[in-house]
Amino acid sequence: MVDRIDEAWIARGVRRAPFGRFLLWAAPWAALLALGAYAIFLCLRDGLFHTNMDNRYVFGLWIFLDLAVIALGAGAFFTGFLLYVLRKTELRAVINSAVVIGLVCYSGAVLILAVDVGQPLRAWFTFYHPNVHSMLTEVTFCITCYLTVLLIEYVPVLLKNRRLKMKPSMLVFEYNLHKVMVVFALIGTLLSFFHQGSLGGLFGVLRGRPFAFREGLLIWPSTFFLFVLSAMAVGPSFVAVTTWMAEKITRRRLVKDEVYQTLGRISGKLLLAYVFFKSLDTLLWINQTAPERGFPAHRFYEYGGAFGTWILFTEIALLGLVPALLLLKPEWRARRGLLIAGAALACLGVTLNRFVFTIQTLALPTLPFDRLLLYWPSWQEFAAFGFVLAYGMLVYSFSYRYLKLFPQERELAMNEAKR
Amino acid sequence: MRKQGAETRAARYAMLIDLDRCNGCGACMVACAVENNVPPPQPAATPRTGLNWLRVFRLNTGGRDAFIPVMCMQCEDETPCQSVCPQKAVELDPATGIVGQIPERCLGCRYCMAACPYQARVFNWRDPQWPAGMERALNPRVSVRQRGTVEKCNFCHGRWQAALEKAAHDGGSGPVHYTPACAEACPAQAIRFGDLNDPEFAAACRSGETFRLLESLGTGPKVFYRTSREEVREATRGFGEVKRG
Amino acid sequence: MFPWVYGFEWHPGYLVFLGVFFTVAVVVAGTVLAALWRSFTAVRKKHDGRIYWHTAFEELTPEERRCRHALTGELPGRCCDQEFDCRGCRMHARLLYSEEAGAQAAVAEPAEVCGISMPLDRYYHRGHTWVREGEDGMLLVGLDDLGRRLLGSDGAVELPPPGTELRVNEPAFRLRRNGVEARILSPVDGTVEGPAAGGEALVRVRPAAGFRTVHLLRGGEAAAWMWLELDRLQMALAASCGASTLADGGVVAGDLGRCLPKRDFDTACGLAFLDV
Repeated sequence: MVDRIDEAWIARGVRRAPFGRFLLWAAPWAALLALGAYAIFLCLRDGLFHTNMDNRYVFGLWIFLDLAVIALGAGAFFTGFLLYVLRKTELRAVINSAVVIGLVCYSGAVLILAVDVGQPLRAWFTFYHPNVHSMLTEVTFCITCYLTVLLIEYVPVLLKNRRLKMKPSMLVFEYNLHKVMVVFALIGTLLSFFHQGSLGGLFGVLRGRPFAFREGLLIWPSTFFLFVLSAMAVGPSFVAVTTWMAEKITRRRLVKDEVYQTLGRISGKLLLAYVFFKSLDTLLWINQTAPERGFPAHRFYEYGGAFGTWILFTEIALLGLVPALLLLKPEWRARRGLLIAGAALACLGVTLNRFVFTIQTLALPTLPFDRLLLYWPSWQEFAAFGFVLAYGMLVYSFSYRYLKLFPQERELAMNEAKR
Repeated sequence: MRKQGAETRAARYAMLIDLDRCNGCGACMVACAVENNVPPPQPAATPRTGLNWLRVFRLNTGGRDAFIPVMCMQCEDETPCQSVCPQKAVELDPATGIVGQIPERCLGCRYCMAACPYQARVFNWRDPQWPAGMERALNPRVSVRQRGTVEKCNFCHGRWQAALEKAAHDGGSGPVHYTPACAEACPAQAIRFGDLNDPEFAAACRSGETFRLLESLGTGPKVFYRTSREEVREATRGFGEVKRG
Repeated sequence: MFPWVYGFEWHPGYLVFLGVFFTVAVVVAGTVLAALWRSFTAVRKKHDGRIYWHTAFEELTPEERRCRHALTGELPGRCCDQEFDCRGCRMHARLLYSEEAGAQAAVAEPAEVCGISMPLDRYYHRGHTWVREGEDGMLLVGLDDLGRRLLGSDGAVELPPPGTELRVNEPAFRLRRNGVEARILSPVDGTVEGPAAGGEALVRVRPAAGFRTVHLLRGGEAAAWMWLELDRLQMALAASCGASTLADGGVVAGDLGRCLPKRDFDTACGLAFLDV
């Protein structure tokens, strides 16, 4: 009987696993969610001493992963921009999935931020007494607005559910929202540009941290622009990787090959541009910015180990230039394995970049009589992040099962049968 | 918030610490904690999570050790922590030159802690707890902070407030004089507190033997250190900072 | 944040920042409210049927949207861009199937496609309904043979009550069988007079003034269309169960509801009545 109720909510013309098997898939994520919820509860009840953050490592796993998922979730705004503004209509095949991923990434990040701050109930102070000179104010405003926009963009995806769209009011509202989607795409692009940039600006403006500090244009350090560019470069890659993962897990073809090619090509071009500008910026930092502030750049890498020069080489060359080339060369991009490998390396590269700006910046001492200190997250920190991961998998799984995340799925299934 | 009393001139309070006198006893740290209602460390606290507005570091000079007390430098040039606080919980008071932290407005985002190159700020990682009876020793002039907020040295702002009120009561004018707890407690009298608007004090702070930490960053710190020993000065210089002649 | 709040600064950076924020907030809220208002008025004016068909047509694959003139080979590969409403199509107007040919087809023998009967004395709608002129100027509307095989003996069709306005391509009927529900599109513009008295027809409809049957299929092109439909059905059901269901030379089962599992029957209804 449960199967019958469940089937009534699944779209026509597509196959989904029986409800029992779906529950089996969801169960471990639900368990991770419960564990994470407990860890979050501990932190909210007792204080942040449950984490291994301290007065030196004021930002830890959570902030690093927040920055990383927000960069990866940029696929939502950028795919929307490419589709609704630049009219790349083949991306209609993945826009719904990109919106869900964006929603999951941003709502997860906001949730973790709410746990990470010492007094979450005071979050509204930033709005009520904003300090416009602070990059964090910009981030707060933009991310809150953008999360609202993502929620609004999710509504039409939700309303296209088979049962919900039978109600005339829901059907009509979905239609009217869809008609004005270009407004939300544009606003989303504007907001994303600013908050992705401000997240980079957060570290670039730190005059007290010569490792992170950068010159810039007007009030914006170079990291502002580099973070925007890297987010735009990696957004389509992450959409490609998650789509491929969805195809592998569901064992179905969900999008046509041209979609992968478009995502890969755009990502490759932007990644190459990013590697170029990042290299220029790094050279400027090594030769001018850091020494001018009394800190020759080579001293930052003296500690070796986790924070040696390998990190710089890996970030720019191995996880920047290599994936850019994999994605740009048509013969390589035509092979799905290489395309996904390139996209995944690009995602890793941007994640490493966010790691460098958060964890490495804080690891390095500024006072000469201070030393490099290491940090390893507590189980509560891992569990809280596990909560976000599980929440994301569950929301995405529910969306895939009951909503039309991939409009080309039905057509591809029929074409498969033709063969 | 500064009360308007009798005419009081704006001040630029600063500290001059003689490293040749400091013997690392830590009396200043204890006095600071008592004066400012800093709770005692809880069993799980570590040197990295404990609350210390003032920390005394040991310097490795290659010869006779030296000690350097480090607290909030009350930076006056584009104060790094002030510009980054998203809700203006940090304010450089033009009347005193003290960088104030408003605990009731602090969200606990710790961005100011990341911005501070002197590692002068500390965070309440848990609810403060005082053993039974110890709450009677709390200083009524200083607010007690909650968990999840940032705190730091404010040059004993409560004592300044008391001095201001006394000056207003006495009908006096001119600068307000007071002494922070650390300067009062130091047995070697290594810590001298004054106003940079006072020419004599300002001259003492700018003598050939004085220096400030991380000067190349241009934050304008108002804690000056004095030593006649070059090896001590060397141990406090940042990476590759140019030697001062 | 507001001028009356402590800490508000009247300098350009502050004003620009808050100005942009409030502008974005107003634009977002205004757009959502506008969409809500438009939806409210559209439902009140009963435009939901038109919107339903518009969204349903968008869900069709390019193959399913093949133009009637592609079915007959006149314009191979062409996809319909008029949502199957040929009355406004310039291409169709140029290639209009002549009335004389249509009249000839009307007296030809009934066609049959894989066992599906297709009498040629009527016009066919791509949602598997047919239209025929009845007595005294009324139109008779009914389900075609494939539609009736989906309906079976134990299915029910909810008819619109007399007086209901019907519009081409907007939902008019609702088929219900074994928990499966599908909306069936109207092939005509008109007003429902009442249920048809016996026979294959479902309802009698008074046609709207100036109503034409230009958008409906007839004769040879109807047969070509039925081949496409059966092909579609076969591919969709094969995709569902992993094997071909209609071998060469086979005929469609008499009662599809009885011989298909519920999931596949649901898929078949959706495909046939364009309710995907």
